[in-house]
Amino acid sequence: MNVSIQPALKSLRTAALIALVAVVGVFMGYFIDFLITDNPEVSAPEQPIAFSHKIHAGDNEIPCQYCHTEARRSPSAGVPSVNKCMGCHNEVATDSPLIRQVSEYWENKEPIPWVKVHDLPDFVHFTHKRHVQAGIACQTCHGPVETMDKIAVHSRDNDGPTLMASTTGEITNSETSEVGATQNDHWEMGLCLNCHKQHDVVDGKAVRVDDGGFDNGLDCWTCHK
Amino acid sequence: MPNIDRRDFIKLVGAGGVGVGAGVVLRESIKHPREHLIPHVLAPEDYSSGVATWYNSVCSMCSAGCGISVRTREGRAKKIEGNPSHAVNQGGLCAVGQAGLQVLYNPDRVTGPLLQAAGRGSNDFTQITWDDGLTRVASRLDVLRAAGRGNRVAVLTRGTSGHLAELLEAFGQGLGTDRLLHYDYDHPHALHVANQRFFGEQQLPYYDLANTRHLLSFGADYLAGWLSPVHHSLGFAQSRHGGDHRGHFVQIEPRMSPSGAAADEWIPARPGTEGILALGLAHHIVASGHYEGDDVDAWQEVLSAYTLARVAQETDVSESTLRQLAESFANTRPSLAIGGDGAANNSNGVDTLVAINALNYLAGNVGEMGGVIFNPDPGGATSHSRQANYQTLAQLAESARSGEIDVLILNDANPVFTMPVASGFKAALEQIPFIVSLSSFIDETSALADVVLPSHTYLESWGDAFPEQGVGFSIGAVSQPVVAPLYDTKATGDIVLDLARRVGKPMPWNSTEECIKDGWNKIYQESDSNTKTESFESFWTALLKAGVWGKKNHRMTETSRPNANTIASIGVDAPTFSGDAEVYPFVLQPYLSTMHDGRAANLPWIQELPDAMTSVVYGSWVEMNPKTAKDLGLTEGDLVDVESPEGAVRAPILVYPAIRPDVIAMPIGQGHTNYGRYASNRGTNPLEILSPVVDENSGNVASNATRVKIVATGKHVEIVKTSGKSRDLGRDIVQTTGGDDHTAQTNSIPITVIPT
Repeated sequence: MNVSIQPALKSLRTAALIALVAVVGVFMGYFIDFLITDNPEVSAPEQPIAFSHKIHAGDNEIPCQYCHTEARRSPSAGVPSVNKCMGCHNEVATDSPLIRQVSEYWENKEPIPWVKVHDLPDFVHFTHKRHVQAGIACQTCHGPVETMDKIAVHSRDNDGPTLMASTTGEITNSETSEVGATQNDHWEMGLCLNCHKQHDVVDGKAVRVDDGGFDNGLDCWTCHK
Repeated sequence: MPNIDRRDFIKLVGAGGVGVGAGVVLRESIKHPREHLIPHVLAPEDYSSGVATWYNSVCSMCSAGCGISVRTREGRAKKIEGNPSHAVNQGGLCAVGQAGLQVLYNPDRVTGPLLQAAGRGSNDFTQITWDDGLTRVASRLDVLRAAGRGNRVAVLTRGTSGHLAELLEAFGQGLGTDRLLHYDYDHPHALHVANQRFFGEQQLPYYDLANTRHLLSFGADYLAGWLSPVHHSLGFAQSRHGGDHRGHFVQIEPRMSPSGAAADEWIPARPGTEGILALGLAHHIVASGHYEGDDVDAWQEVLSAYTLARVAQETDVSESTLRQLAESFANTRPSLAIGGDGAANNSNGVDTLVAINALNYLAGNVGEMGGVIFNPDPGGATSHSRQANYQTLAQLAESARSGEIDVLILNDANPVFTMPVASGFKAALEQIPFIVSLSSFIDETSALADVVLPSHTYLESWGDAFPEQGVGFSIGAVSQPVVAPLYDTKATGDIVLDLARRVGKPMPWNSTEECIKDGWNKIYQESDSNTKTESFESFWTALLKAGVWGKKNHRMTETSRPNANTIASIGVDAPTFSGDAEVYPFVLQPYLSTMHDGRAANLPWIQELPDAMTSVVYGSWVEMNPKTAKDLGLTEGDLVDVESPEGAVRAPILVYPAIRPDVIAMPIGQGHTNYGRYASNRGTNPLEILSPVVDENSGNVASNATRVKIVATGKHVEIVKTSGKSRDLGRDIVQTTGGDDHTAQTNSIPITVIPT
């Protein structure tokens, strides 16, 4: 006699289907969120004041380190104090509604709560000082900030060039370098490693090496310490 | 394909929707949270975000006055190290100094002015404003001062040196009180008196451990607590490994301290007989013709009673050991004898230290490299002249009892913890109508305060220090704030200045900083014109940067000769102890632990730091010789009552081989009842049960002169320690044998069995 469990399972079929749909839904939801929030066009957060890097660094060609003064001396690049903003905006564009917002913070002696866009996990030790002093341009990692009205993590296409800052502060494509970042357009370990594999430090400056055999800071504890 | 009806379809759509929603929520919840970049409104000039800034300052955890460098980031103190340029500690720093951060960040700090209206000791404090608090104090002070009864105000502060001490002095004068007392439990009163008697100098000399080749330490635990342990450790290292010779170190004490463990020889003389031993050595040095001064006859006469045979009998040290010690001490050049801690805290403490001075003099160590060197005037006030000994505090208590004191101002001194209960000190303080505390923490003494006006910690305030035990030349350092005040507290000096203003006796400074600067301006004006900088401001900036100031002014060549009267007065009586030896068979030795006099007990790092000798953490213990423990049937962890004629404390036994069988030792520092969450209700305080035996010469309590008995309670606890068992649990890993067995069965017992 054949005993089948199929009749017994039949009643569970709908329940199983519902569960399956729900599980698929979880994966879809996760992926949808991933697509939406990791898209820089969408994910660039609203800042308390709609500060435009395009106007400052692009149109008016203010060097990055004029405001981010700590980048060459400290692990963190530093955010300018409200006092620094007011240093110029006591005179410049004082009628603009955005600048009035800045003045308001200044008059209330309150800091502007900027939202952090470029964020590394706490287990990564990155230092701006070393990279800036090695002549690597800010844009190499931060993207063309001078074209952004609203700051966002830059999604890069494959094989972008490594940008080098010349001693005059002018930004050039590294002459020795054609290959820059990486296929990985997220701020993940591959971005760091690719560049570290392809560059050597000569006279304190980062230089592209072709043999690819140089292990410049590839130890785990270069960053994870 | 199953049939899907309308109901199932809705279920599926619902499930899908919930699933997608759950997926989004899941990803959002595991995503790195959005952070903010909060800039400064006005950026301070002296730091870059992300870059450490170091400030040089002075450690105030004890009176040694080590220089410190504090690493700060974003205005927060992160780490304390020793200042390499400071001659006292030369970059070194002890555990308590390192733990100074936990004073700053301690969760039990008083964060603002408090009023204890509910009654003293209730710990029921209400927040008040600074103005209210200051007014409450000033109104009382003002009335007393105006009526010419300023002497009814008493000030009791932790030992304070430098210009802050002068500020307090001026405050006392303004009020018209001479009841201004500094109090540190471990202040070497006996040493000051002994040096006054023998050398005619109150000030501590410099003991040059670094250059000595033979150190004889009578009870002074110079590596762990005595005077300036970090400096002594450097000296010890230099003498042992620094040159072409290896210094020989001898420690004479009934219970082995860390210094005893580091010594080449440890000699457990009977407690209180260290001075007799020193005179025995002196006798031998003179008798054998090592001393050739023209007053040799006077010495011979005064030392004639201290024959090696008699001394050997009284000290329980063999005659041959004594002879050998005396010979090597006199023949090794330079040599040095020091005395303190256990040897000084007896009824004959001052006589003992005078005897040790005499030993140094007879061996020719005074004014010599590697011997006793006199310090020049330190350049700033030291606290000794105002330091209260036991008798002074007893007088204060007596005045309080008889209603002669109306206001007591406390500043970080905690005598209620360190005074024996038998002194009745706490009850006397309670008689004072109004007590105000300027301490940063509520401790056993501050708990009696009606008003608490909390001070900054030393990392937040200005001050300076001129280490009294010195380094052989003038040295001082400025203590500068390394962080902005964390709480609504004020600098001690600023509180005092404010009070002085309110009682109509303003001082010439507006702030402590001004007072300190003013003091240093005088030092600058007096400084050598060759090395003088352009202006005081540049001197001040350089001073703060370097964290230390010094002056080339040795007094090496001076030798002080004792006169005939001094020589004739030398002699050490047998020590007296409280309690009948029949009833109380053991001598109790309370010794300074890592917690110092108990002030560091509220620092978790110090609580969890294993004791140097026993490796015990978080608690108290009673050290007992294995033989004594065997006789009493006690093992490690057995809870016992240590009973003196004055009372009892309870702690577990720790079998400790390096202690005389007739001595019991207990660490000082634990047993707080009201000193924050980390210190309170942990361990016991052996100082509680001390008998008030006073060394008449120094006026201080003889803390090693109390006899005790041990009463087993039948209870057992596990002692928490890091070193595990001291035995091999019967596994015979290392076989050993006692010396007696070895001589009994000559040449047949191997010390160690090596398996073949």
